[in-house]
Amino acid sequence: MDILSSLGGGFGVALQPFNLVLALIGCFLGTVIGALPGIGPVNGIAILIPLAFSMKLAPVEAMILLTSVYYGTMFGGRISSILLNIPGDAPAVMTCLDGYPMALKGKAADALAISAISSFVGGTLATIGLTICAPLLAKAAIYFGPPEYFALFVLAVVAVGGVGGANPAKTLIAGMIGLVLSTVGLDPASGQPRFTFDSYELYDGIDFVVAAIGLFAISEFLMFLADKEGGQAKRLPVGQIRSSFRDLIFPAATLRASALGFVIGVLPGAGATMASFLGYTLEKKISDKDGTFGKGDPRGVAAPEAADNAAAGGNLVPMLTLGIPGSGATAIMLGMLVTLNIQPGPLLFERQPDLIWGLVAALYVSNFILLVLNIPLVGIFARLLTIPTRYLMPVVVVISYVGVYSISNSAFDLLLMTGFGILGFGMRKMGFSMIPLVLGMLLGGPMEQNLRRAMQASGGDWAILVQSPLSVGLHLATIAMVAAAIFYELRRRRAARPAVE
Amino acid sequence: MSDRIVGLGLMILAAWYGWSAGHYEADFSDPVGPAIFPQVLAVLIAVLGLWLVFRPDPEPRWDGGLVLVVQAASIVLMLAYALLLVPVGFVLATTVLAGVLAAMLGARPLPAVVSGAAVAVGCYVLFTHGLELALPTGTLFAGG
Repeated sequence: MDILSSLGGGFGVALQPFNLVLALIGCFLGTVIGALPGIGPVNGIAILIPLAFSMKLAPVEAMILLTSVYYGTMFGGRISSILLNIPGDAPAVMTCLDGYPMALKGKAADALAISAISSFVGGTLATIGLTICAPLLAKAAIYFGPPEYFALFVLAVVAVGGVGGANPAKTLIAGMIGLVLSTVGLDPASGQPRFTFDSYELYDGIDFVVAAIGLFAISEFLMFLADKEGGQAKRLPVGQIRSSFRDLIFPAATLRASALGFVIGVLPGAGATMASFLGYTLEKKISDKDGTFGKGDPRGVAAPEAADNAAAGGNLVPMLTLGIPGSGATAIMLGMLVTLNIQPGPLLFERQPDLIWGLVAALYVSNFILLVLNIPLVGIFARLLTIPTRYLMPVVVVISYVGVYSISNSAFDLLLMTGFGILGFGMRKMGFSMIPLVLGMLLGGPMEQNLRRAMQASGGDWAILVQSPLSVGLHLATIAMVAAAIFYELRRRRAARPAVE
Repeated sequence: MSDRIVGLGLMILAAWYGWSAGHYEADFSDPVGPAIFPQVLAVLIAVLGLWLVFRPDPEPRWDGGLVLVVQAASIVLMLAYALLLVPVGFVLATTVLAGVLAAMLGARPLPAVVSGAAVAVGCYVLFTHGLELALPTGTLFAGG
């Protein structure tokens, strides 16, 4: 009952006309960003953050805008998967497998409708899951003191990127570099400038938004120069829906994939891409009796789309309740909350119920808007896909520069952003994950402050860090995840060696 | 080889970072102080850098030749844009930036220039009138 009345209050916030308009704009932009290959959820959200600032949005309004963009990208990615056989963003890769064959058979409209409906179901179920789980997790707030927060942030930075399958040493390095970057600026406890090279521009630290836009959007452009797919992709026509409504919903496949996707989303380190992959694989295992998967089976469209939208909702659970994002896109949103002086975490539910519940209610609203936008208006989005990327990517670069300029009005930050773009490019080329770096930058400050607060309380006795069962448990989880990552890496190397030599 | 170079670079960075952290002094009430957290990081980074030197991944595929030149040129262009945006003004600087970047991605000269100008003017109108952002109008030619 408690949840229902809070949610009711949330709808009071979400249904205010201005917030509805923001959700509508966010859903539209999100679908476009998701649909256009080359702009994924992470860099799409990153380049929109400055706009949220320059529009002087209140925290709840900014979050409604960004989360509807986030949900929108999950809807949009499927459009180019189905019509172009090019995923609009990483989670939509699996949708190509059966979506494009359906379009080849002239059933593009059906595939788009099926994926929109299963996206809606997945997203809505995940939002229900979020509504139920998040307050429960937030109750853990009372058990969190400085030592536990320290342990939590260590877990987030060290372990979250670690299960992605990349070289764990490189993942750790990326996290450490992020932490190093977070120490630049005035030390809040002692007031001393650290690592600022006596440059007053660095006294406030490195702006997270500047770093994120450079790392994701500018590096994406540099990667793009190498690929040179600047032309116009061949798009299949959308056509008319040919099946009856009954044949557009696949309840079993959608529900299974939604549940799986939500759980994967809640787990740290695994995002929508893994969810859609596993959702597709699971459905193929269960339903592919006649070998129709990969040849245009509608269940192969429904399952990954339900899973990735459910994971997107699941990702918000640890981000909002514990302040540890599980994916790049949620990390960027967390960064924006921190920039707005809101520290997500267990206390958020007590201190800012309007923000949290308004946001949760807005998620239901955006899901509904997205369903409405995506079935009748899908032709408009499909038409946007014919814009050649050679004209589109420069726009992304320009918006990145305008965005950063609008925050700081300083050429220094523009140069810094370009530098982060080069760093991000090098990291991507060499197989470093950028998400731990972003997390390190975000969480480094609170990590160090909580460490110092804990040590002040204990008078310099390090044992305080492992005195509560919760902090011990969190440290053990960190160790277990690092150990697992190292184990997989060693096994991978052993398996790879005969092939190399 | 790239991994080994990065590993070595990280060790140098860690040494400098840990060494400069040693200059920061703590208050009485702060047993950890501003130095220890960076110093712990420095040690960890040095160890991880050493690991990269001895156990590098297979060499990534670096782009050679023309691609590398174009990438370097685009970086120079973006740095120049960052420095010249305020003096030159948004519309002119952006026309050049967006136009040249489009050409780098394979657009022919005329469409590149037209698209650059369209992006610049479109963004200018959208941001200054739609979002009320003050974009630089340029001081170089306006005599301001």
